[in-house]
Amino acid sequence: MPDSTYRPDVTAWPNFGWERAAKDAALLAEMRRLTNWHRSACPPYRAIIEKLGFADAGIERLEDVPFLPVRLFKHLTLRSVPEDAIVKTMTSSGTSGQNPSRIYLDKVTAGLQVKVLARIVTEFIGPKRLPMLVVDCKATASDRYRFSARAAGILGFSMFGSDIEYALDDDMSPNMSRIQAFLEKHAGTDILVFGFTLIVWRNLVLALEEAGETVGLQTGILVHGGGWKQLLAQAVMPEEYRARIARATGITRIHNYYGMVEQTGSILMECEAGRLHAPAWSDVLIRAPVDFSPLPAGQPGLIQLLSVIPHSYPGHALLSEDIGEMIGVDDCPCGRMGKTVKIHGRLEQAEIRGCSDTLTD
Amino acid sequence: MGALSKPKSEDAVTLLPIDIEKAMQVLAGDPSRLNNRPVVAWDSERVAFLSAVSKAILADPDARKLPDAVTFAYWARKGNLAAIETRTRVAGRVSMGLGLVFHVSPSNAPVNFAFSMAFGLLAGNSCVIRLPSAETATATIIVRAVRHVLAQPEHEGIRGALLLVRYARDDEVNRFWTGIADGRVVWGGDETVRQFRRYPAPPRAREVSFADRYSLCTLRPIAVLELDDAGLKALCSGLYNDIYLMDQAACSSPQLVAWVGDAETVGRAQDRLWPALVSQVKERYDAPPIRLMDKFVRACESAATNAAVHHIQRHGNLLYRVALETLGPNPERCRGIAGTVHEVVLTSLDDLAPFINEIYQTLTYFGYGREELTTFVQRHGLRGIDRIVPVGRALDMDVIWDGYEIVTGLSRTVDIR
Repeated sequence: MPDSTYRPDVTAWPNFGWERAAKDAALLAEMRRLTNWHRSACPPYRAIIEKLGFADAGIERLEDVPFLPVRLFKHLTLRSVPEDAIVKTMTSSGTSGQNPSRIYLDKVTAGLQVKVLARIVTEFIGPKRLPMLVVDCKATASDRYRFSARAAGILGFSMFGSDIEYALDDDMSPNMSRIQAFLEKHAGTDILVFGFTLIVWRNLVLALEEAGETVGLQTGILVHGGGWKQLLAQAVMPEEYRARIARATGITRIHNYYGMVEQTGSILMECEAGRLHAPAWSDVLIRAPVDFSPLPAGQPGLIQLLSVIPHSYPGHALLSEDIGEMIGVDDCPCGRMGKTVKIHGRLEQAEIRGCSDTLTD
Repeated sequence: MGALSKPKSEDAVTLLPIDIEKAMQVLAGDPSRLNNRPVVAWDSERVAFLSAVSKAILADPDARKLPDAVTFAYWARKGNLAAIETRTRVAGRVSMGLGLVFHVSPSNAPVNFAFSMAFGLLAGNSCVIRLPSAETATATIIVRAVRHVLAQPEHEGIRGALLLVRYARDDEVNRFWTGIADGRVVWGGDETVRQFRRYPAPPRAREVSFADRYSLCTLRPIAVLELDDAGLKALCSGLYNDIYLMDQAACSSPQLVAWVGDAETVGRAQDRLWPALVSQVKERYDAPPIRLMDKFVRACESAATNAAVHHIQRHGNLLYRVALETLGPNPERCRGIAGTVHEVVLTSLDDLAPFINEIYQTLTYFGYGREELTTFVQRHGLRGIDRIVPVGRALDMDVIWDGYEIVTGLSRTVDIR
């Protein structure tokens, strides 16, 4: 039986420091190991990759790694460890009438999620815990059943916060006096501002604009994620998003992130140059819908994500229902290595799922 | 105005309660003129109306890209209707409509509301037709043609006999129409049929309902191998129509392909047939990416959960072929999306018989004679299979469908001696 124990040196991988060849070699070895591991430990996974002919060719390149559609986690129970080794089950927020994804975590996988996320995020906010202002209400974080993706996001990122405050009241409107008090308390220090893309926009930026108010968050570093879908529907482009945030809150250090519940931890982060970067622990492939062939930079297609984190479930190579395109490899003006991508949005009429399923009017 | 419950022929205008009228969007027809006065089946005014609608559709440049709308228009030509009448009508027998027939049309086959309308009108009824809530180009064009023809003075007589409506899921509206209709035609599968049976209907009301069905195809490998290139192309064109025109979602689209022959010959026939089909699919099929994703998800699910699946051969994402080691126990659970065929190799067509239940609808065939198929159906006392048609005609809607003779089913035979 293949070894399931993760390699301890994985968490020491050089974040955004690997050039293509070195990263490919390390990632490919880990992908092979994980594929063999899940194949031996998860019978439905084995049946899928063998019956669909993934196994025949061998894994010579990253694009050869068998991948599952991410939606499959809504339909099947996919686990590679015994039930009693599960320490946590994550669920994505499904829309009404749909099954949520169920992701089973053992200790190894849960631990890797935390360590890898910490490596990635500290690259952008620095190594110290910062005072953290959550652009959401407290009820969201405590009501894990209704908004599990948002709650999980807040919970996951709160490990970077020292003093956590919520910017919104339970009716999702900004509480100005609470925000002011928090800013005064932490005057002159960097502040981590965290929230979901749509909520930051609608419940902070638009709310402030409407009230004709601003806040002085010049020392803030905004990390936001959850998808652009609703914003694109309102024709809000990333440039405008950044500009209006800066005007309303003073925040200029803004980092979007992209990831999915099914690969929590190994997120893609937006750099100062506005590109989403794959870190050492993950990679992105863009595939043509018509035959899943890999596409070169500049051609939009389905986003596939690789991650070295999933050990307890076969989620190391997943085909998402998002459309995006590759921008380049190891060539970002910000100096970080790795692939950079741009997200266009979700497949049309795709099930609305995951993090962008936040407040629906 | 008379009461709704028992209208007599002479004051047969249906009065709609204001709430019901408000809840509906009228697409064609005039609710204030709707009546439940039957006419004879195959009434010449009705035939003239349908053939005028046919002409209007064919004259619409937007219709050309819509094979289903064009198919309906061809079906509703005067000459074709006359041929169907000759074929199905018993000479000398007097048939009248039931009165008012309420139609619930399906969302997976956008053109079916038009066929349903034609069947109901030809049977001599006034028809209220609920269209699927999602707008489709097919429905838009046919509705436009119907409105155009209804507005012409020579078709004035139809105005009280036709109402096309759309409304959001609304129990009260469904209940209202079911409660006053002399007949109802329910498309849309098991769930819809069950739902409409919950609404009280008049004791004499009739029902023609279309439950979930399963369809399959049988091919003789020798016949495929004997084809010349033109013949192969024609066969593939037929398979393309059956499988891809409705994204394989029509109840008559084949899900299972049963090859009858020895494994070696079947293998050669598969190697010849499927790549040829794929090259047609590549040219003709423009599937939305989400449909291809659905297909991939379904393929993964069936690989993981169905032990009878030996392997799934993917021709890009255009055609998936699911090889089944055996049939059963419930082959009708093997369903595909947008071009996924389940294949099984049998030594004889008779091997299929034990699996055929009442869910089975259409058997398309290639390489068989009509007689051996007739014998097959009769000898085994099958509970299912209502249609046996050559490959390429799976979707050909007609007055005989799903085991019903629909026009006859929606009319009364008046016994006059």
